[in-house]
Amino acid sequence: MATVAEDQLVAGLNGVVITRRPGTSGPGYRTYEVHQRERVGESTEKIKPIQLVSEQYRQDPYALLEILRENYPCYRNWLSNSYWITRYDDVTSIFVDEGNFETRPKTWYYGLDNFGRDLRGELPVLVAQERGIDHNAAPLAESIVGEFAARGESDLAREFAARYPLEMLGRLLDLPDGDIGGFAERYWRMQRGITWEPNAQQSGLVALNDLVSYFEPLVEARRANPGDDMLSAMVGLDVEGGAVSAADVVVTLLEGDHQTLHGALANMWFLLMTHPDQFEVAQTDNRLLKVAYLETLRHSAPVLSAERFARHEVERFGKLIPEGAQLICSAAAANRDPRIFADPDRFIVDRRDMCQREPRGQYRADGLASGIAFGLGPPSRHPAIPEDRPRSLYAITRDTAVRASRVLLDMVADLRLQEGANPHLASLRVGEMHTCWKLPVSFSKR
Amino acid sequence: MIMSSVANVLETLAEEEAEGLGAQKEFPLMPEGQAVDMGHAEDGTPLIDPRIFDSPEFFRNPYPYYRILRDHYPVYHDKLHNCYWVTRYDDITECYFDDEGFNTIPKGSSSGVLGNTQLELSGIEHRRRRNLYGQHLVGQSLKARIPAIERLAEEMIADWDKAVGSEWVTEKDGVRTVALGKAFANEFPIRVVCEVLGFPKEAQDAFYYWYNSMMSGLGGSETHKQGLEARQHLEDYVAEIVEERRVKPTYLYDNDGNPVGKDIISKLCETKVDGDFLSTEEITSNIALVVGGGGETTRGAILNMWYLLLQHPDQFAAVSADESLWDRAFHETLRHSTPIGGQPRHNSFDVEMHGVTIPAGSLCQMVDFSANHDERIFKDPETFDIFREDLYSGKLLRSGYRKDGKCSHMAFGVGPHLCPGAWISHQEATVGSRILHKHMKNPRVNLEKMPKDIDGKSLAPIGLVSVRELWLDYDL
Repeated sequence: MATVAEDQLVAGLNGVVITRRPGTSGPGYRTYEVHQRERVGESTEKIKPIQLVSEQYRQDPYALLEILRENYPCYRNWLSNSYWITRYDDVTSIFVDEGNFETRPKTWYYGLDNFGRDLRGELPVLVAQERGIDHNAAPLAESIVGEFAARGESDLAREFAARYPLEMLGRLLDLPDGDIGGFAERYWRMQRGITWEPNAQQSGLVALNDLVSYFEPLVEARRANPGDDMLSAMVGLDVEGGAVSAADVVVTLLEGDHQTLHGALANMWFLLMTHPDQFEVAQTDNRLLKVAYLETLRHSAPVLSAERFARHEVERFGKLIPEGAQLICSAAAANRDPRIFADPDRFIVDRRDMCQREPRGQYRADGLASGIAFGLGPPSRHPAIPEDRPRSLYAITRDTAVRASRVLLDMVADLRLQEGANPHLASLRVGEMHTCWKLPVSFSKR
Repeated sequence: MIMSSVANVLETLAEEEAEGLGAQKEFPLMPEGQAVDMGHAEDGTPLIDPRIFDSPEFFRNPYPYYRILRDHYPVYHDKLHNCYWVTRYDDITECYFDDEGFNTIPKGSSSGVLGNTQLELSGIEHRRRRNLYGQHLVGQSLKARIPAIERLAEEMIADWDKAVGSEWVTEKDGVRTVALGKAFANEFPIRVVCEVLGFPKEAQDAFYYWYNSMMSGLGGSETHKQGLEARQHLEDYVAEIVEERRVKPTYLYDNDGNPVGKDIISKLCETKVDGDFLSTEEITSNIALVVGGGGETTRGAILNMWYLLLQHPDQFAAVSADESLWDRAFHETLRHSTPIGGQPRHNSFDVEMHGVTIPAGSLCQMVDFSANHDERIFKDPETFDIFREDLYSGKLLRSGYRKDGKCSHMAFGVGPHLCPGAWISHQEATVGSRILHKHMKNPRVNLEKMPKDIDGKSLAPIGLVSVRELWLDYDL
């Protein structure tokens, strides 16, 4: 929330300060006529809100989401004071509607207004990010796979999928050797602090402050002696509001995250290992590997849902959505919407009814829908279109996941699930990334 | 070395998944007045796990948790329930008075069951409609109804003689045991409301059923559908009566058979707003609100008051000796064990309170419970003391009361939305209690039948909801 000028303060007693939103002048409440139309009165007997924070939801949310999608497409959850949107067309319509809905920054969940600036969208940062990722994608994968290739067995979830994005981040920022472990630990805690669990919140806040102290000397060093890494690109920015500080760097890291790369890699290999017939198809060539990645994001999206907030009262899905309402846009439910995808619960690598190009809001290339995994920003907000600009993060992540997977396939042969292994997808905590945490495989070295 | 470090981080995460720590949490039941330890921040500040708000422990023992909120998080951003808890007396007062900044726009909480009511209007529209109903529940029009309230209480108590041997009234060795809720307090307020609204006596049982269904169906709970149906039936019934009385108004009579004026519905039928007669829908939904709102507070006040007084024999003796003390007992009960927890509000603008920024349109839970136990206002708030110096016990005013070190309690709210039934509720509870007192000799709590606390000995705390049932013994 922006800082408010003194003259906009309306009242103040007992520490209460009321500020008008710029541009609002109305009475601030509904008229009786609008009020008359609002008779909520829905009855949702087929599901209880508590089920949406249950152990079942943590492990396998799809059955519960189907109940919502097929019966209550705009479900008001009175326990979490939110609306659940579960149909594909509805979810995408909320995602692209920047006029009526907003996404709140993660700093808001931490209660840190004006703590730092999010520099993810700055062109030099994007360029450095693309350059760094493209440069490191294959060598990093080779070095990681090389560590376990000779062993004949590995836990792909931890030793490959989870590790790869963290070390990639370390390389992008060009962190000193030996720091990556401590950085990764704090980075994870900071990301996981965006939750209702108070100890994790607290620990996340501590980690965030630790990271700020950690980056302070690094920022000064890169300012004096810049390199071609992403951290130097951030430090070298000339942005409004003064020189870039360590807090800006940490906020940028907080707002972006590595979850989609981590989750997509882990979920893709989980699905390929548990569907050997599809694995056959996928390893034929890089195009099919890319399609397998896209189908993974559709079938088992690592980020299950995104939160949007209504900027003002708006009528949608036959309901009056009040100002400030929280909408849980469930990508997981939308991706399995039978109105869009035939046989949506099946993992089919060369699926015919899914778009293979980058999803751009509700625009469907070739008339086909794509799986929702990145929240579908408004078209062209990612600077992907002009030739001289970097590829969108969506494309970069896709290419990186495919390249890393290709390296794995090239370095080991006869990849298969270990005897007796029973891998599954789960979130660490309800609301967090839904992915595979243990995927024991065996193979032979090529 | 470097690699093993990242591996350790990931190992920990995989272990956490295997343990299933993310699932729902069960909290231990604590002795009354003590909070579960939910962890501490680095500086020692106790943490609040929002799952506590859904737990049985919180329902039976909420006060220590509200104390933590008041002391450390006067505005607490609850990310699980997507709301902000406001817990200090001063803040709640300010928000209640600020009808524009903290609006009552329905977001689905009770509107489905209670319909479009003034509860959820703001500003001038609220004031205009509220007065239509409110005027019938106060002052002279209420005073004229007090004999009727007395008569109803006498009738209900007289019925106990016939009910001896039933589940809720038994007799042994000259001692009668009654379940005061079932035998009196649950139904009494509903009968009074029916009487005041001028519904025929035969309808009272149906109203009692509708009331119960509506109350249990509030807030989209599992019995929501039943509540909606009950409301529909109530509405159909009232609509029929409204149509009748539009043509043929009915009159109320005092105990001597003299007419004291038209009943409320007949009056509402001839009331105009902005030049138009009130629609039947408007009348019925507000009647539903009066029925719905008239029950729980009064029932809770009667049961909690008797429960608390009998646990403090010296104060009960004082009330027995001086009937005028029932007013003080009523107010102190509502302060000490408030039957209704609080009211939701939504901020119309971005607000900053105690350093927390609340974006416009957020749900703010105003916790009346907590305001009434705010040690900044009421000294030693956990103690039940009808003689306390800092509690105002006169007639409740919309402006609230805060003078000479005395403050009004928050059980009925304050400001424009002050419960319009506050005064009638006060009359029901005190008139009813005086009559109960007249009929019960040496009343005491039947400890065997009352639920026990976790130690198995002391009485269970009242908690968030009123005491569910009060078993009394008295000598015949």
